[in-house]
Amino acid sequence: MSLFFKKSKSRLSQKEPRLSVSRKYDLRPGRSYIVQESPPHMSFDAFVNIVSTNAGAGKGKTAGLAVTRQHPELIKEKYGLEETPVYWLATRTGDKVISPTNLGILAHMLVKFAEDTDDGIIILDGIEYLVSNNDFTKVLRMVDQVNDHISQSGCRLILPVDSRAFDQKELALLMRNMDKLA
Amino acid sequence: MKILVVDDSEAFRRVLTELLVRAGFHDVVEAGDFKGAISVFKESRPRFTFVDMILPDRSGVDLTKEILAMNPDAVVIAMSSIINKRLIQQSLEAGAKDFLLKPTNEIALSSVLTMWSD
Repeated sequence: MSLFFKKSKSRLSQKEPRLSVSRKYDLRPGRSYIVQESPPHMSFDAFVNIVSTNAGAGKGKTAGLAVTRQHPELIKEKYGLEETPVYWLATRTGDKVISPTNLGILAHMLVKFAEDTDDGIIILDGIEYLVSNNDFTKVLRMVDQVNDHISQSGCRLILPVDSRAFDQKELALLMRNMDKLA
Repeated sequence: MKILVVDDSEAFRRVLTELLVRAGFHDVVEAGDFKGAISVFKESRPRFTFVDMILPDRSGVDLTKEILAMNPDAVVIAMSSIINKRLIQQSLEAGAKDFLLKPTNEIALSSVLTMWSD
């Protein structure tokens, strides 16, 4: 497993070519944001806008990492992502595929990205799929673990959530340490 | 402040108009294609024009150039449902000030309006 992470370290922090448009979302480093929506339009708009623009005068670009239920090629094509690593949550084998039952690998990857990146953003799309393949408590624990590392890093986390897939208590638990983006 | 929304999808025009009204911009006019947009622009002289890059008759890049030829102070915001970097670059070179990914939302829209309003 260590080989996997050693190999992927440099690829994880590659940055997108800059797009000459303005930064529209002010997501603060060290914070996690929950977005109640389905499909995750605003979440991806914010993610792509932040990885494609400079934070401001004299500031550099933000590295991104996407984990999604949608096929990575579809995501790259729609959002014009050239360098950002996009991982697929799926029960298939292959490069950049993460099994939904392998929460440990997923958490490790996200935590490592947060630790290794000075200015970064992660989108974790597909939490409903994770919950349908695992116990909710395990998924919550994984999100909390990632959240703890995010809060001590220069990274942001975007977590799109389809609120229809959760009951009130589960939603409250997911949202307790996050800001709401809407 | 008058705003023109140009998109061939009536549903999208309705959604964007609603977002604009919610953001406090009540004077919104619409057009569904290049020709209609030119006509509405001449008549209404909007400050902001949101232009879908793909229109049924001519391109959003052409429309951007035409609008700015008529009024160089107009603010054109390009829109598209996919991020096609070449197309975005062309629209910015044609004079568009910014780009919005469709479907848009209140945060992105407000940011653009704040950024480019006087």
